[in-house]
Amino acid sequence: MARFLLRSLVSAIVTMFLVSIMLFFFLEVGTGDVTVKILGIESTPEQRASYRAQLGLNAPAWQRYLDWLIGSDWRAEKRVGYPLVTVKNPNTGESEWWADVNGNLTRWKMKDGKMITFHRAEDGSPVEVDLPIPWTKLESGEEIFWGVDTGNNAVMWVRGAGETVWVRTKAGFRKEGDGPREYIPLRKGLLRLDAGKSLQTGRPVKVTLIPRVRNTLILAAVAFMIVMPLALIFGIISGVNEGKPVDRTISILGLALTATPEYVTGIFLILIFGIWLKLFPAVALFTSADAVFENPKLLVLPVLTLTAVEWGYVVRMTRASMVEVMDAPYIRTAIIKGMPRSRVIFRHALRNALMAPITIIMLHVNWLVGGVVVVEAIFGYPGLGSYIYSASIFGDPNAVEAAAMLLVIIAVGTRLIGDLAYTYLNPRIRYA
Amino acid sequence: MRPTVDKKKMEAIHGYIPVAYELLEQNRISRREFLRIATLLGMSAGAATFAAACAAPATPAAPAEAPAEAPAEAPAEEKPAIRRGGTWTCAMQLQLLDHPARLSWVEGANVVRQVCEYLTETGPDNITRPFLLEKWEASDDVKTWDLYLKKGIKFNNGDELTADDVLFTMSQWLDPDVGSSMLGLLSYWGGMQNVEKVDDYHIRLHLDSPNIGVPEHLFHYPAVILHRNFEGDIIKQPVGTGAFLLEEYAEGERARLKRRPDYWQMGEDGQPLPYLDELIFVSIDKDAGVAALQSGQVDSMYDPRPADFQALRDHPDLVVREAHTAQALILRMRVDLEPWNDNRVRTALKLCQDRAKILQLAYFGQGDLSIDAHVAPVHPEYCEKPIPAYQPDKAKALLEEWAAEKGVELPLKVTLATKNDQAEPEVAQALKELAAPAGFDISLDITEPAGYWDRWTEVDLGITSWTHRPLGTMVLPLAYIKEAIGAWNETRWYDDEFTALLRKAEGTLDVEARRAIFCDLEDIMQERGPIGNSFWKYVWNITRKEFHNVVAHPTAYYLMNEVWKEA
Repeated sequence: MARFLLRSLVSAIVTMFLVSIMLFFFLEVGTGDVTVKILGIESTPEQRASYRAQLGLNAPAWQRYLDWLIGSDWRAEKRVGYPLVTVKNPNTGESEWWADVNGNLTRWKMKDGKMITFHRAEDGSPVEVDLPIPWTKLESGEEIFWGVDTGNNAVMWVRGAGETVWVRTKAGFRKEGDGPREYIPLRKGLLRLDAGKSLQTGRPVKVTLIPRVRNTLILAAVAFMIVMPLALIFGIISGVNEGKPVDRTISILGLALTATPEYVTGIFLILIFGIWLKLFPAVALFTSADAVFENPKLLVLPVLTLTAVEWGYVVRMTRASMVEVMDAPYIRTAIIKGMPRSRVIFRHALRNALMAPITIIMLHVNWLVGGVVVVEAIFGYPGLGSYIYSASIFGDPNAVEAAAMLLVIIAVGTRLIGDLAYTYLNPRIRYA
Repeated sequence: MRPTVDKKKMEAIHGYIPVAYELLEQNRISRREFLRIATLLGMSAGAATFAAACAAPATPAAPAEAPAEAPAEAPAEEKPAIRRGGTWTCAMQLQLLDHPARLSWVEGANVVRQVCEYLTETGPDNITRPFLLEKWEASDDVKTWDLYLKKGIKFNNGDELTADDVLFTMSQWLDPDVGSSMLGLLSYWGGMQNVEKVDDYHIRLHLDSPNIGVPEHLFHYPAVILHRNFEGDIIKQPVGTGAFLLEEYAEGERARLKRRPDYWQMGEDGQPLPYLDELIFVSIDKDAGVAALQSGQVDSMYDPRPADFQALRDHPDLVVREAHTAQALILRMRVDLEPWNDNRVRTALKLCQDRAKILQLAYFGQGDLSIDAHVAPVHPEYCEKPIPAYQPDKAKALLEEWAAEKGVELPLKVTLATKNDQAEPEVAQALKELAAPAGFDISLDITEPAGYWDRWTEVDLGITSWTHRPLGTMVLPLAYIKEAIGAWNETRWYDDEFTALLRKAEGTLDVEARRAIFCDLEDIMQERGPIGNSFWKYVWNITRKEFHNVVAHPTAYYLMNEVWKEA
């Protein structure tokens, strides 16, 4: 058993690694200039280049992949020369990067053409301190300084060269030559549980992803708990009554529901129950983050839609499996022996008949979590599927990768549960 | 007796205002144009409206008639009393929002504009008025602009709005590292060194080249005025002068705003605006938005598409308000490439537009028909021209003449590229059918919006969506001059005569004189220009009927300060 679990774990890690590399590669070649999407088509090439640098997109792809995986503070620390640490800002609740300069948490900022040093006060607020900036003179004569800016980047400032910023003077503003030239956005990397910042939202992926995952898990769990028992029961009824009117009715209903796409079912449910009868909310409107707990009615129509799609599949699978098992010689023997019919079905037939549906059910858990984009779009349900969709369209690697990693974990997890269910249902299957 | 308006006072503001006033009296310009000119030149909106009301158009009516203002006033309908309180919910997609100057989409601006405000405001009537400004003054050569701030306006953190905040905000627009689209728009400013702080409430712009569009540009959607200590993230620092406070902003989820108790504008009841207590924007798909509006879960949806308009127009609980715009789906041809380098081919394709039919097929008839020039009837300087008819025979003759000369066989195979976004595929499909009898064989190349925006300046033949801009002089220099090649001149077309006229128009404040120039500009564009255009779109504001003072804005802006909700 331990070996079996270990093997699952290793395969999960390998899968995640491969998936992450593939996705990174696809997003790299598949999406255009992301700064156009952020700054709009009215932005100038100069602005885009500057913004690319600020986002750290100038680094080669392998470097960015490594940053994503193991973090960028390693290489930034070498430049800055001080240990870089993250501290939570009690005012915003977000993590901030600071340089640990001899025990003082320090950041720097360029204001009005002058470098300002900040120390972190006890309460998390920055305090301006008057300290000289240790500029480093390069062979080319330029003076540079690596530090941490207020936007969680390791930044190289250049004194009096090239990069221009606007500086206020009494007469107005004039251009001044001191400006940041190189940026390393600081991050810990996925291995240290930091999924990075989403380009699409400008916020940490964690902040936007977690509520989506929660919403999706709630929807998937409710749908799962309703559809699976129903489908199994009807499948069994249908299977043991092969050819009878009850079997025909269930089969035709299942076929009809499977054949109707979810967007058709969904729209009809909205029109009937949401707009005409006004029994349930037509759209799952999240006016607050916890809307689904405050008003569970929001879930009714999306769950009904998912039920309609899923029910037919599982019923048909269970029925076919049941029919096959009921034809088996050992069942016939049991019946001939005079065993009660209910005992034959539940003790002898059911266990064997469930093998095939379990596989289907476990595969569908994945689909329920990550693949119900259409249902989420129809009902405006803020779930994981639409999150991945919009992140992929935008070309937001951090968000796509984080969501994909979660889906791999769920896929491997459900497979594990499925395998364990097999061993329970069929003791002949043993993993040594 | 007609009440008199002091022309001397008007002259003190700007020498041209009394002239405009006379034009109004003689019925040569409309009331709207007078308001625009007067406010553009620095007259306060109230004074201009008063003056406009006083200027009785010289009608041939009997002199014994009632005073001038009487006929304008329709018998006032019983207006329900304004009620305070209530929540307004709106379906609108929410994306990245950090630095308002960096905004590249109107949805985010619709949230920010409730918290932060603009120096000016272009109203639903397409007239620009001072907002945070008390007034503006332009020199005769339109190169020096004096902006006077209103006094006593407070940020929601208690600080008073001064010229320092405005200068800081302007420096953010013009800083390339911020990435604001204002930088390109304001290239004629010549940089921050041309912005002078005269005193705490007075800012002077010394423009490099004359431009009459300064007030309009100050209402461009990223141009909200920020606090002087703003650090780059409006969600962490939601400081502004606006009527609402930002409570929550979650990208892709929702935004919640609460009424600010000490806002500077007063309502009709003498208390500070706004009337509503809370605004909620919920980020859902437009399809879901339609269902939510029908079921009463939301009160409005952002920028409905024509199909949404069709679905919602007859709903008894909803009020549809439309705005005429200068938004269009422009059919544009690369004049540096075969076959579009020949004006006969361009003219032939333009003649293939059955404008009324295209409008009907693509936009359910919800628009104003257009000529083949990038100037819309809502532009003050628009010069009215007859709408060209559908003439496939004439087009065929032109095309055959060209084909015979070139030795090309007809039908002429061309590819029309566009994006699947608003109604472009429908326009493209209609044009394909309409142009077939003239000898064009158009194949369609339709991609997702992002795919088209990657190559919109490069394709030979395309349909590009252009947004609304309040002045004709703001549109034409973007795409139809030599300097714009490499930027937004997607057709590579320029014309020396056209450019000279346009430069003249840009420095002409007199709307009538400018319209005379635009008559020629429109003629040149129709005769040898690079674009065809069938219609100007309407945009709609669809809101539940219990909300009052709702306005439909041509750029789908939500102006919520004065909106109130019936019990």
